[in-house]
Amino acid sequence: MIPVRCFTCGKPISTAWEEFKQRREKGEDPKKILDDLNISRYCCRRMLLTHKEIIDELNPYQ
Amino acid sequence: MEIEISSLDDTLARFTLSGTSPAFANAFRRAMIGEVPTLAIENVRIYDNTSAFFDEMLAHRLGLIPIKTDLSTYSTKEKCSCGGAGCPGCMVTFTLSVEGPKTVLSSDLIPQDPHATPVYDNIPIVKLTKGQKLVIEAHAILNTGREHAKWQPTLVCGFKNHPVVSISEACDACGMCVDECPRGILAVKGKKVEVVDGKLPECSMCKLCERACLASGIGDESAITITAEADRYIFVVESDGSLPVKEIMDRALQYIRDQADELERQLGEIAGDEKK
Repeated sequence: MIPVRCFTCGKPISTAWEEFKQRREKGEDPKKILDDLNISRYCCRRMLLTHKEIIDELNPYQ
Repeated sequence: MEIEISSLDDTLARFTLSGTSPAFANAFRRAMIGEVPTLAIENVRIYDNTSAFFDEMLAHRLGLIPIKTDLSTYSTKEKCSCGGAGCPGCMVTFTLSVEGPKTVLSSDLIPQDPHATPVYDNIPIVKLTKGQKLVIEAHAILNTGREHAKWQPTLVCGFKNHPVVSISEACDACGMCVDECPRGILAVKGKKVEVVDGKLPECSMCKLCERACLASGIGDESAITITAEADRYIFVVESDGSLPVKEIMDRALQYIRDQADELERQLGEIAGDEKK
């Protein structure tokens, strides 16, 4: 799952994840999505850019 | 001491503080970060958790959720009349009961006080598949950022000295400094370089313009010099949404005043004792 807050500054960035994921899957430029979502600092931007969702792989093992 | 606000809304404030020492500016910054209390989930009782997450990870994620805080209705546990046992005056209880398949969101947390809701209702907590279940009771309490960063009301909270850009008569408007400035605060106007209107606070005092000026072959002394104004500070304060920025500033200043009064009282006590 996406971390609730940015590790560095503490901004709650997980609220932007769902929209970011959907728009990136449609092939939009991540830079533009992050600018649209008002995520301006590079600490917060890397949180979304570098996140890998693995919950679906973990879910079979309770 | 003067505060001049250049922009202010509930989540972000930019202002200049002038006529004070660096020590006070720093005390103000530290008070805003570490001494203004907010609500955050501290204790979690887990009745059922068949999700892929460990209980500890769930509790950790719950703790980081910012909660709207009304400081007039809640007090810290130590100051509460219940003596720290936990009552509606110092604690908010949240209940959460979700069955998969569903992504558990912060909006699934049902608070006992309808005003103390999570700031955002779409923070994902955990994704549940079919048959997985989560039943939780969480207690949020008031505390300060000094104890744990989850109680910090601020995100970005910092200050720098106000920059002063002085351009001497020796300037020949070659434009080298304009090209060099990474923030684009300089421009050639007529036969001299000038600071673009309203861009001065953005200067990071990197002094690349000074070096560019010297490299242009102007002589031994740069025509442009960057200095810092000693008793004027540019502040940026950003809130996580639990409290409006204005209240964070008010509470921080009140805290500094209370501490100063307390120091004065204690000094008076010591002096009084000596007289006896």
